[in-house]
Amino acid sequence: MAPVESRADPALPSSCARAATAAEARHRIQRPIAPARAPRVVALDDGAVAVVRRMARLPWANAQFYACEAGGEAVVLRRIEGRPAGLADELVAADVVVMIATDDRGAGGAHAIGTACGQRGIMTAGLVVAGPDAGADTHAADRAVAALRPHARVLLPGADENDVVELLRALRA
Amino acid sequence: MLVLRQDINELLTRTGPGTPMGELYRQYWIPACLAEELPEDDCAPVRIKLLSERLIAFRDSAGRYGLIDEFCAHRGASLWFGRNEEGGLRCPYHGWKYDVTGQCVEVPSEADNSRFCRNVKLTAYPLVKIGDILWTHMGDPATRPPLPEFEFALVPPEQTYTSKRLQQCNWLQAFEGGIDSSHVTFLHSGGLKNDPLFKGAKGNEYNQKDTKPFFEVADSDGGLFVGARRNAEEGTYYWRITPWVMPSFTMVPPRGDHPIHGHFWIPIDDENCWVYSFDYHPVRPLSAAERQAMIDGHGVHSENIPGTYRPVANRDNDYLMDREKQRTGEYYSGVKGIAIQDASLQESMGPIADRTRERLVPADAGIIKARQKLRKAAVALRDHGTTPPGVDPAHHRVRSAAVVLPDAESFLDACSDDVRVRPGVPIASV
Repeated sequence: MAPVESRADPALPSSCARAATAAEARHRIQRPIAPARAPRVVALDDGAVAVVRRMARLPWANAQFYACEAGGEAVVLRRIEGRPAGLADELVAADVVVMIATDDRGAGGAHAIGTACGQRGIMTAGLVVAGPDAGADTHAADRAVAALRPHARVLLPGADENDVVELLRALRA
Repeated sequence: MLVLRQDINELLTRTGPGTPMGELYRQYWIPACLAEELPEDDCAPVRIKLLSERLIAFRDSAGRYGLIDEFCAHRGASLWFGRNEEGGLRCPYHGWKYDVTGQCVEVPSEADNSRFCRNVKLTAYPLVKIGDILWTHMGDPATRPPLPEFEFALVPPEQTYTSKRLQQCNWLQAFEGGIDSSHVTFLHSGGLKNDPLFKGAKGNEYNQKDTKPFFEVADSDGGLFVGARRNAEEGTYYWRITPWVMPSFTMVPPRGDHPIHGHFWIPIDDENCWVYSFDYHPVRPLSAAERQAMIDGHGVHSENIPGTYRPVANRDNDYLMDREKQRTGEYYSGVKGIAIQDASLQESMGPIADRTRERLVPADAGIIKARQKLRKAAVALRDHGTTPPGVDPAHHRVRSAAVVLPDAESFLDACSDDVRVRPGVPIASV
């Protein structure tokens, strides 16, 4: 039997950091990746409803779209097509909630949703999109940012509809 | 629906001539090499590959810098073997000689009064020293922008230090680490306690106490500001603000009175990039101890193999992984040094990260937004000739900041002065 050849470096290419090479990258597992389980996208004001309605028309895996209406103490949630929905029920399976605002009229909704998500350990994101009145009310976006800041773990002020699409795509919504 | 379509990944990661992102990069002045690589007149030329183009940098007898096609126009021999003498670089094969503009100035085999060489000119790009870096612009000379005005390159030499290192992966995944604030709490947690260029700042305590920051990502003229918000004292937040100037300049938020640092990520080709890392202080010289720490590879710098810009800890030695120090937490990942901690994980993603297989989360909003801006800029340039953000030197005059603000304040409103260069004014730092 021939003697075993000693090697200065016993590691095979695929068992060390050299596996980062292009040749080794070919062997990465390519099994399909599951989409996000249940992203919830909530419009917090009338301007945001128009944005979310357009988003809802695009093809998504599991994303659900809602409008949040100011309703005294309790938050009133509706599916974007109009069917009533309960916040607690809709959060049962949710893994992320994306809130869309164009002004601060949804501050109460942001507070209720943010608090509910915080209690359940659900990630929140907020996007402030220029609304239809943006030209007339230059401070609407600033107020929307201030209203969302305490409740959105990730906040994109000055966003546009493309940002909403890109974020939802990135989340595999 | 895919996270990022493969065609968009290709668009963002390929930077060779004629590619959309390559053309985007060619709109900017970018670092070509360190000035120390051409230390004196008639010194040895340096091989440089940038944006998948092979080039030679040299400094002629009059101190003029040149960046020209690596290969002689005659038979294609590398001019790295050239003799740098008497105002030009001479190919040792048959003696053809070129000046810093790439113009052939001598073809010895031709008659003495021959005009042949006038018609021979190699591709050449400008090479300009600003600070510790030699900068080039590889785009159309007709649209060449004014020279860059990054503060780290403009302060006096005793206030600044720049290093570079090879990173063996595509530029984009390396750059994305620079706007990904959430990894610092984990990957670099050891550095906050131990690194001489990081430790001791009050801000570090906020970092370590609140490991789940909130993020805000806001547009700027040249790119983005990414704000990471952590709890500070009652009624206040600790904000760390990272500017990104397109295509790949970022600054790390400061810590106490330590020098402020940042990076450029410059594509060598599609599977390798240079990481330029700098430290500077806007109002005082770097101390001898600080400069020595940078030379020794602390902070954002790396310990390189002598005579090269390849880190001592690299993928051929598993980045000198130390499982014991990983276990004790001295190095969270087991890899020593902030620069190599980043490099090890970013290179492990593969030569060009497959972004169709990512699972991003909302905390990655900075990365998502940066990709969108890069794509939009590359397409607008390709389709309409639109000058991208970050070309205008006014966009370069940004700073990072680390501040404590009342909880009701917007970081952009409260720090609008702090994130702009104000010569002679200290950085805003906690």
